[in-house]
Amino acid sequence: MAPVNLSHRRTHNLLLISKLLSLRDTASPLTLLQDSLEQPATPLIKEYIRRAKLSKVHVTFIAFETLKKPDGVDAFVSTRRKSPADIAKEVAAAYQPAATGPSRHPGFHLPSFLGSFIASTGPSAGKADASLVVTWHQDVPALPQQNHYSPSPLPVLTYLATSIITLHSFSHILAQKAARDRSLAAPVFGLEEEQDGVLLGRLDKLAGTGAAEGIVLELEHRRKSGRGVLEWYLLPPASQYSPQHVKEVVTLLDDNVLYNPPMEPDTNPDDDEPKSTFELGLTDRQRRDREGVVLPYFDAQHGDGPGEGGRILYDMGEEDDFDEEEDEI
Amino acid sequence: MPSQPPLPPLLTSYLSDQRESSLTLVSSILGATSNWLVLRYLYAALGTSSSSNISIGTDELSNGAKRKVVLVSFLRGWEFWRAEAKRLGLDLARLADKQQFAFVDGLSELFNSSSSASSAPINTGSTVRTTLPLRSQPGAVPGRGPPSAVTPGRPGTESLRQREPGAVKKLHFTGHGIAALDAMEKDVISEINRQKSSMTDGDEMLLILDQPDFLLAATGASMGVGATEMAEWVTGLQQQVHATVLTMAADSPLIHNASTSGNQLSTPIETEHAAFAIGMAHRAWSVMQLRTLETGAARDVSGVLRISRGGGWTAEAEDNLGERELLYYIQRDGGVRVFGRGES
Repeated sequence: MAPVNLSHRRTHNLLLISKLLSLRDTASPLTLLQDSLEQPATPLIKEYIRRAKLSKVHVTFIAFETLKKPDGVDAFVSTRRKSPADIAKEVAAAYQPAATGPSRHPGFHLPSFLGSFIASTGPSAGKADASLVVTWHQDVPALPQQNHYSPSPLPVLTYLATSIITLHSFSHILAQKAARDRSLAAPVFGLEEEQDGVLLGRLDKLAGTGAAEGIVLELEHRRKSGRGVLEWYLLPPASQYSPQHVKEVVTLLDDNVLYNPPMEPDTNPDDDEPKSTFELGLTDRQRRDREGVVLPYFDAQHGDGPGEGGRILYDMGEEDDFDEEEDEI
Repeated sequence: MPSQPPLPPLLTSYLSDQRESSLTLVSSILGATSNWLVLRYLYAALGTSSSSNISIGTDELSNGAKRKVVLVSFLRGWEFWRAEAKRLGLDLARLADKQQFAFVDGLSELFNSSSSASSAPINTGSTVRTTLPLRSQPGAVPGRGPPSAVTPGRPGTESLRQREPGAVKKLHFTGHGIAALDAMEKDVISEINRQKSSMTDGDEMLLILDQPDFLLAATGASMGVGATEMAEWVTGLQQQVHATVLTMAADSPLIHNASTSGNQLSTPIETEHAAFAIGMAHRAWSVMQLRTLETGAARDVSGVLRISRGGGWTAEAEDNLGERELLYYIQRDGGVRVFGRGES
């Protein structure tokens, strides 16, 4: 992809993420959130719910592994020991009072659920003008398929989704960038460390100070035209803005000071002089005079005779003090 | 070395502060087992009234609420927990009589059909030999369950059951798949409800599931039990109690062989276990990870305890329990010292 300039991306892509997170105009009927133990999707789900509340959107929460109803959710559908058809029926019933609703299914790793659920919510999503937000745990290994000829759930989901958001921890992204900038192998965290007994690598201490808090969203959005948009965003932690905050809080990752520090002055080619208390530069007059000096080897090429070439040519400046005695030596 | 307080001061707030409907996952490896931590959870919930260290467990005393515990153990028998708790100064048998504690035995007769268990209440040493082939008959993986733990434990638990009828509830795995798990769930829930009957307002019920991954390993896909079914089973129990503590093995082969990064073939048990363990970590409010020192064995350090926030953690107010990594040392007398790196 050709590098699009930053200000263009800033205007267009920020508008896009704002539209996606606020679920305006059903910009994305099926959003797939790919999270991991290192960066769970809970904060992003909260952000979705917060924005839905601000724009008075009905929220149905389909819980596959959540017990407690999260704040701000209008309808909570527990799915334990229910057939996919029953779940779809319950969700459809919950839709009735309001028009739109993002819903969530964490731990969506049951192939039989998957197919029937997508098929059953498909029509209801169409008629109720709903957007579906689905969470997928990337690091849970895929369980063996019952039917070997059907694709596994993740490819099906990625194929169907209109936008895919992969979540990363900001501190990890920073650590990996720092390593890349030094041409070192990028560090891995948590499960990827493959250390005995380590499931999670996240630690407050690793994250450092509060400056590196936040979630990095890697967005892949498929436009209706078929063109894809790839962008990296940063969602600040919820504590940094009030729940009623209306303006966009998400920024481009490239705009972040920690990720993309501002150019340091010494990389600027215009002033590449070392700093000193002396004035080491030349004035205009000095530069003119210096350019006027004929260097000895130019003179030597005239070949005026032995002893003549290579003599030092010197024009007396007005500030020069001619010393007779020195010249005699 | 001086004797340690039953609850290590650094861990007290982590052990006694259980959020409503939260799940705490304790992961252990072969070299760093979780038994000591489970005992500390027991003590944090039950032990304050009977011990002299009242100042440590101020949490329960301040709001006046009592805690009840149901311990479901799949790898250890009643004798083990009773003896180990006694070393902490916790009389589990007395607490069971007072309806504060209940033990559910998921080990002794898990794969004994219930008819044989009821018809032969007294197993002497000679009948143990005849029951061993019975154990492997329903398709359990031979040699998977620790038979050494079963054989000596059996006469003790049997005689104990005669002494205190109803103190030890035993789980049986009969049938296939979800139906079998449902039956076990019903057994545990009946035990929980028996405790609940004597509960007053504000009391909290803590459920400790010790190594349910054994159940997954011993049954597997051939008996219709997989990671999804196990996770559902845990959810069903979670709904009944205030908080749940779950211990699980997180040894490297059980977690990493099935990982998405490695492309080697993994066995079904590796895939199922990894899916179960990681799925549970995604649901957990906090994850306590026990492991050995990376630098090898040390004389004064038994292992490392890393406390992390799980996938179910949400940023809410008054949550000041941060993530941290601590070292622990189990002394000869069973006391545990917990300290930070570089401290002694």
